Amino acid sequence: MNCLLCNARLPIRLTLADLVMLRPLPRLTLCNRCRANFARIDPAYACPGCGRPQKGTRLCAECVAWQQHCGWHLSHQALYTYNNAMKEYMHRYKFAGDYRLRLVFQAELQARVRELAADVVVPIPVTETTMAIRGFNQVLGLLGETSVAPVLRHRARDKLAQSHKTRKERLRTPQPFELVDPTMVRGKRVLLVDDIYTTGRTLYHAADLIKGAQCRELVSLSLAR
Amino acid sequence: MELHGQRVHCLRCGQETDWRLAALPNGEYYCPRCINLGRVATLNKFYHVPEPNQFTVHQPVLTWSGQLSPLQEDAATTVDQGLAAHRHQLLWAVTGAGKTEMMFHGIAHALERGERLAVASPRVDVCLELYPRLVAAFQNTIMVLLHGRQELPYRYAQLTVCTTHQLLRFYHAFDNLIIDEVDSFPFAANDALLFASQQAVKTDGGCLYLTATPGPTLMRRVRRGELAVSYLPLRYHGHLLPRIRLQLAPGWRRGVQCGHLPTSLVARLRRSLTAGYRFLLFLPHVADLGTIEPLLRLALPDHNFTTVHAADPQRLTKVQAMRDGQYDFLVTTTIMERGVTFPEIDVFVLGADDPVFSSSALVQIAGRAGRSVSRPTGTVYFWIASQCRRVRSAVRQVDFMNRKGRALQK
Ligand SMILES: [Zn+2]
Ligand SMILES: [Zn+2]
Ligand SMILES: [Zn+2]
Repeated sequence: MNCLLCNARLPIRLTLADLVMLRPLPRLTLCNRCRANFARIDPAYACPGCGRPQKGTRLCAECVAWQQHCGWHLSHQALYTYNNAMKEYMHRYKFAGDYRLRLVFQAELQARVRELAADVVVPIPVTETTMAIRGFNQVLGLLGETSVAPVLRHRARDKLAQSHKTRKERLRTPQPFELVDPTMVRGKRVLLVDDIYTTGRTLYHAADLIKGAQCRELVSLSLAR
Repeated sequence: MELHGQRVHCLRCGQETDWRLAALPNGEYYCPRCINLGRVATLNKFYHVPEPNQFTVHQPVLTWSGQLSPLQEDAATTVDQGLAAHRHQLLWAVTGAGKTEMMFHGIAHALERGERLAVASPRVDVCLELYPRLVAAFQNTIMVLLHGRQELPYRYAQLTVCTTHQLLRFYHAFDNLIIDEVDSFPFAANDALLFASQQAVKTDGGCLYLTATPGPTLMRRVRRGELAVSYLPLRYHGHLLPRIRLQLAPGWRRGVQCGHLPTSLVARLRRSLTAGYRFLLFLPHVADLGTIEPLLRLALPDHNFTTVHAADPQRLTKVQAMRDGQYDFLVTTTIMERGVTFPEIDVFVLGADDPVFSSSALVQIAGRAGRSVSRPTGTVYFWIASQCRRVRSAVRQVDFMNRKGRALQK
């Protein structure tokens, strides 16, 4: 096995316990040097609304603003900060289209999805144009074999991909999604999953629709914040 | 991209990938091996522009007026003839032989013939160092520099300087391809790059490999007669390479942990310093720098030195300070092996048998010594915990070149 990002050979670390228990080995995806460039977020030191790392667990100013604007706020978690290493990773995975890189964080994201114990996992969809160019939905790639419900889809009118817009433009965007089938989420605990939480706008749009379909509970998760 | 059974074959880089790694969810395949040049997927097709090669040659082509030593002159003639005949050849020149200058006449003649050329190296730093020298030597020629860290738009040029990786962009494009430091990582181990270098050359084109330490792949091609080899065993000042001398220090790592350096090492360092020579001491790992630095400060209290490694933010200032004579010695890791030269130094390696040092890296490290006319010799000592193949091969390569060199000196 080689590091998925820098291709350095990975040492096989066998502990005595691994040998005795004959348990399946955790698959390493990154070398220690690459791994060290990413910063995990501890939910005990993050905003409960958006998952941003901070001192305590008080709602951050941005989330207070969302609360005032919508009358509710998300409860979002993110695994990693969106630092330079994560930016570079996202660039290689999404924009360069190296689909193999989904494996870098797949196991960690799946583990958190299991922990969050939702009835329905809803991935944020990509537009048809993106799908045609990229050939994959980056969120589905990160989720791997997790079973998901295609509750959302992009509304027919195709727009610019999110990443090309400025922050202001993103905050103004009209609802880009529509519900495929509201009964899939009615009365359920729903987990919305996206790759990055930037302004929150995308997730708030998606959450708005799902709340409107009378889900029981809604939490959300992203790889980066 | 083509699917052959379980494997997907990439038409750009020539590499094969297990289809499970290459599959996209939309049923296409992409090539993860050469993705840093932009993704190639099953639907992409390649178009190759036929090479018009209509360069107008502006005289004078060669704007370099340096002098070659008689020995360099011989090698330069060999290079020139090889390029003219589009030969596939290997020039095995010792470190510090002045390889770049020896290519100039050959390149100039090729440019005058209206040929399209590329000078490539596996290492970005080598390309960055070569490009300005070539620009200065061929001021009237259109040139382009291509490497992965830069976003300059590509332009059609008569002389391309690029990393070997960028050669994947070219197909039967060059009349002659020169690959400098061909042995250095990652080219040596990467079949894709070797494939690319073949693809980049026209079917009747030539290829010149320059190296100080040919690896097994090149030597195999020499033995099979696919590559003509010529040697430049003497340095530009006409002297032999300093011999690598070995010292066994079986328990040095444990000793260092308990706070003492090998006595033979300390004695050797003292001897260099009292003789008035500065030195480089190489250690295998960055972590070793921290353990050994305090021990050296204790053992050599009156001397000024520092430690430096590749990721050291003050690396450049420290290297410059060493150049300026502010330090008596530098303690460093393998990363300074190429390009960095200090005059009149000795070179020592503690733990030369550590797997981080490839035999070619060891030859390069040893080659830091004896670079200047003012002191063309130098002392090179390797401390090893045990004998190993890489160290033996490095010693053998130096001895081999010295035997050839002695024959020339008569
Ligand atoms: Zn890595
Ligand atoms: Zn918040
Ligand atoms: Zn390829």
